[in-house]
Amino acid sequence: MSGANPVAAAAASSATAVPPRRPGVLKRLLREPIAALALAVVVLLVLAAVLAPVLAPTDPFDNDLASAMAVPGTPGLLLGADGQGRDMITRLLYGLRATLLIGAASVLLGGIVGGAAGFIAAYYKRVDGLLMRLMDVLLSFPAILFGLAIAAIFGPGIPAVILALSIATVPLMARIVRSAALVVMRQDYIEAARATGMGDGRLIFRHVAPNCLSPMFVFATLRFGQVILLGSALSFLGLGAQPPVAELGSMAAEGRGFLFFAPHVAVLPCVVIFIVVLAFNLLGDALRDALDPRLRV
Amino acid sequence: MLRHVLQRLLTTVPVMLGVLLIGFLLMQVVPTDPAIVRAGPTATADVIAAIRTELGLDQPLYVQFGIYLWRLLQGDLGVSIINNVPVTQELGATIGPTLELMFASLFWAIPLGIGLGTVAAYFRGSVLDRAITALSVAGGSVPVFFLGLMLIWLVGFQWQLLPFTGRGGPLWTADGWKAIALPALTLGGVFVAPVARMTRTAVLEVLGAEHVRTARAKGLAERSVVLHHALRNALIPVITLIGLQIGFLLGGAVVTETVFSWPGVGRLAVGAILSADFPMAQGTIIVLSLGFIMVNLVVDVLYVALDPRMRGA
Repeated sequence: MSGANPVAAAAASSATAVPPRRPGVLKRLLREPIAALALAVVVLLVLAAVLAPVLAPTDPFDNDLASAMAVPGTPGLLLGADGQGRDMITRLLYGLRATLLIGAASVLLGGIVGGAAGFIAAYYKRVDGLLMRLMDVLLSFPAILFGLAIAAIFGPGIPAVILALSIATVPLMARIVRSAALVVMRQDYIEAARATGMGDGRLIFRHVAPNCLSPMFVFATLRFGQVILLGSALSFLGLGAQPPVAELGSMAAEGRGFLFFAPHVAVLPCVVIFIVVLAFNLLGDALRDALDPRLRV
Repeated sequence: MLRHVLQRLLTTVPVMLGVLLIGFLLMQVVPTDPAIVRAGPTATADVIAAIRTELGLDQPLYVQFGIYLWRLLQGDLGVSIINNVPVTQELGATIGPTLELMFASLFWAIPLGIGLGTVAAYFRGSVLDRAITALSVAGGSVPVFFLGLMLIWLVGFQWQLLPFTGRGGPLWTADGWKAIALPALTLGGVFVAPVARMTRTAVLEVLGAEHVRTARAKGLAERSVVLHHALRNALIPVITLIGLQIGFLLGGAVVTETVFSWPGVGRLAVGAILSADFPMAQGTIIVLSLGFIMVNLVVDVLYVALDPRMRGA
């Protein structure tokens, strides 16, 4: 859990020397063909999502009932049309955009709150026990229960999904950050910084946090895949994105009604979800190997 | 051992109370007045006021929470505002099918996952290991509803082999097991990958242990080394990890029930939330949460019971 420690320790022991630089993470990552492929797919997916308004051939809500359920390959509709005659390419691009946004918002929000909790628990021994017991309680409930409860309280919608997935992410990030921070805080340079009279906040931000970044980053990447699966499942159930908004999970749910006449309407969004999750899982595994080979199994 | 169980039970109490408090507060923020709902649309203000007193709604919140707990202890979770059926009655009818689906899924997914994981670990680095590992990474990336929809389309619709909506009756009847086949394949299907991955890691760790080397050194048959010395010890962490994955299984069950119109608690909960049936939603969420806390407790106790090294720790 302490990927950067040897470097940090070396840097601290010889303050005047230039800290030894490790070969770039990106370079090591690209040496593995699968990792390079996963990274390329992730970059392409993110680009497609960001550029959806530019790339999409039509407006996501433009429907032409004459071409409803058009099969892929129909002239002008490369991937066909959905039950309401909306271009599947457009819907998939916007759906991907919404799905990735839900995932990113959840990991970011849960990661920041969980990370803060982890640093506080590691740094302030007095609240450590209480805070981590609270995290254990959160951890003991599956994400689906948060999803159901929050949708019941605030009503179904994208904010409910983001809130539920963020809460489910908080205890996981807190644990990872706490254990990484505890290792970092045993280093001499932390003692040295403290001796110079540095305040708690600055010490955490300037010296502890930067050295915990690699496990945080690995976790965030792997968590992203899981959050996409959970978020699209909640939307599939009708608890997340609401029609006519294009979101991959709710698109699959809509397509379920046409499964026997036009399977592509349900199958295509599912395939895109699969590719997104697989790419992030592979990238996360590769990042873990590249950043901290000791975690390899 | 007993002390450990009691300790765990004690730490569970505040969590359970927390769940009940959240469930209680859920009813406070919803925009409907239970007194008006129960009184019906034609009731006069006097009648509503009388029901309000009867339900204790004119009391302070903490008293209401007490009344709520008391009613809960008597098995009263309220009445559905959609069809007036008691929540406990609906729950009683749906818990069985959900458990049935979960057990049917684990019944094939756990042995297969453990088998695949053991083979992958034993032939570490081989083509077989890589294939199994690749399969479990891919399997862990498939949305449950994708697998379900594909099975419905292929096996149910194209091949017309198995039914794909609802429950067909008790499992010992032909209709019963035919109806559960596709839902159990779906839910179990997403469970094989994590079990295989956990088993592989656990077996790899044990295969490198000294007692396995000793077993080999004294000339035991390879089969005996793997099955009796390696796998048996690896199973302890695997069983615990499977227990901890029950939450994942529950999430999958909710989706699977919806896809196959399986009459379980998950489908009931989702339907209640979507139709704004607050008492029903509250009841299902409370029961699912409490059930979940109990499962965690059992897994924790089992872990200590299975692994003598954990005793006294």
